[in-house]
Amino acid sequence: MFKKYRLENLEKGNLIAFGEVFQGMLHPSSIEILTPLKDLGLKLNKKVVLVCLIDDVDSFKDLELLKKCIADEIWMVCHQELAHFRDDLYAEVLVEMVKATDPCGLFFPATSIGCSLAPRIAGRLNLGLCAHVNHLEIEDGKIVMTRPTYGENIIAKLISNTSPVMATLSIGAFSAIYGEKEPKFFEVEMPSDFSWVSKLKVRRFTPAAKQPNRLSTAKVVIAGGRGLRSKENFQKLFELAEVLRAEVGATRPVCYEGWVEEDRMIGISGVTVRPKVYIGLGISGALQHTVGMENSEYIVAVNIDKEAPLVKMAHLGLIGDAPKVLDLLIKRLKK
Amino acid sequence: MEKIILCIKGVPKPGTVKVDPKTHTLKRESLELILNPPDRQAIEMTARLKETYGFKVYVITMGPPNVIPLLKEVYGIVADEMVLLSDRAFAGSDTLATSYVLAQAIKRLSPYSLVLMGLKSIDGETSQVPPETAALLELPSLTHVKAIYKEENSWVVIRQTEYGEEELEVNPPFVASILPEAFDYLRPPSLKRLLEAKVKEPMVLAANDLDLIPERLGLNGSPTQVVDVFEKKIEIKGQVIEGDPSFLVEKLVSVLEQKGIINP
Repeated sequence: MFKKYRLENLEKGNLIAFGEVFQGMLHPSSIEILTPLKDLGLKLNKKVVLVCLIDDVDSFKDLELLKKCIADEIWMVCHQELAHFRDDLYAEVLVEMVKATDPCGLFFPATSIGCSLAPRIAGRLNLGLCAHVNHLEIEDGKIVMTRPTYGENIIAKLISNTSPVMATLSIGAFSAIYGEKEPKFFEVEMPSDFSWVSKLKVRRFTPAAKQPNRLSTAKVVIAGGRGLRSKENFQKLFELAEVLRAEVGATRPVCYEGWVEEDRMIGISGVTVRPKVYIGLGISGALQHTVGMENSEYIVAVNIDKEAPLVKMAHLGLIGDAPKVLDLLIKRLKK
Repeated sequence: MEKIILCIKGVPKPGTVKVDPKTHTLKRESLELILNPPDRQAIEMTARLKETYGFKVYVITMGPPNVIPLLKEVYGIVADEMVLLSDRAFAGSDTLATSYVLAQAIKRLSPYSLVLMGLKSIDGETSQVPPETAALLELPSLTHVKAIYKEENSWVVIRQTEYGEEELEVNPPFVASILPEAFDYLRPPSLKRLLEAKVKEPMVLAANDLDLIPERLGLNGSPTQVVDVFEKKIEIKGQVIEGDPSFLVEKLVSVLEQKGIINP
């Protein structure tokens, strides 16, 4: 179906993005991370290549999406052993690819899979790897990566002294854009002596009962922090979300408290949101969280503390007890 | 007896973080350290495996000597031996340089069956060290693990991600990072073992004690380098309103109407 190219014949020196495919579906972050890479590619005069590891083309469901993406080339590695993600085997495929095509950058969405796979490759090739990068730029011809750090209000800029430059990019930190020109598709033929073995044997896979949340694309986000004081109060956010057709987000401490699953964490190691309206209840606004929501169109903060950073950065700061305001708001809207 | 290597990390108590303005790294010496919260599940997992299968447990950490109380805390819960990797030469290590030292130290403790760690640390939040260490040890790695058990001929690992739950077969030795949601309980230390820990000191290994290439250590041996740090300034955007909750709710409702989120 696609032009077949042997690995060693592919073009060298590209910017490579990992296209995460699970059960035939492309993770939307794989498209998002192309946006900053395209920009780097233009500045460095490098092609952007999206690499997908799949079992076969017929079971791949997002081909149409790939045709619209802004990558210059799509490289598909197809093999039945790639049907399910396995850290060691996936890493070895990409290690071979790095060795053969000498990319200048290798980037992953900071998903569970991306955060498992990228460090395995970095360890195999002794490469530097930055985590949860939310901004990329070129300074003096070098790729400079930005990420918030240390849980305080400090942002760090990093470079990597090894090549390819490697990073995982925060989910939702970049918006997907689509192009006019269809990328070129290649099916990559791995060397005949490549060993398709993994020490991991998948016995069973049970898909998650609930749909993954749509935080990163939600129009309205209601987020809760420690100021809500209890898991019970936090659960009321879901009631409010139903009325407002919103998604529920959370801060890191409340995820660690077990009030809500970690996939609802907004911030550095969680999701970046950019809704029309963001309402933060009982959230003081540590940088860890605010980098994940600062680009919201309209920010409302409900907090007892007038000096809380989130109140200061909000378009509307409401000074009051978050659980009380939440209760009243639900009552008022259900009227 | 088969061994579990349990890796833990001392992290700065939230709110006490200081950054060295010169090297842009964390000033660890002056910090009050706590046990990295996501390590709790790795400790509990270790305790359960030890109870069921009778492992010998080595707890290992890298850091300045002020992490010793944390090793002793874990000794009180589950460990049989404590190992501290401590050397000025390790200061400022990024995840690769850290994983390199860990991997070399773990090799010293061979043979072992399992290497367990928390999913990530709350200071760096990278979750990179477990897979990087596994790659350096040339072992399989699994992240987001919530259960580990032995069947007749193989070990079974359950991993949970946003996609769902996977059941995998894998033969030891392997490296696993444990899901923070795996358990909501960490057993307390036993008083007897805590008393033992008072007089027991960890084995301390410095750079010279391990087979290490000096160029791969610490700040200078780290491929990722911080070139700049800056404080994020908060822009004051809008208005702040005080009042009783029902007044605040009315204000909020009118904003939601204006924005077209709800119908007036």
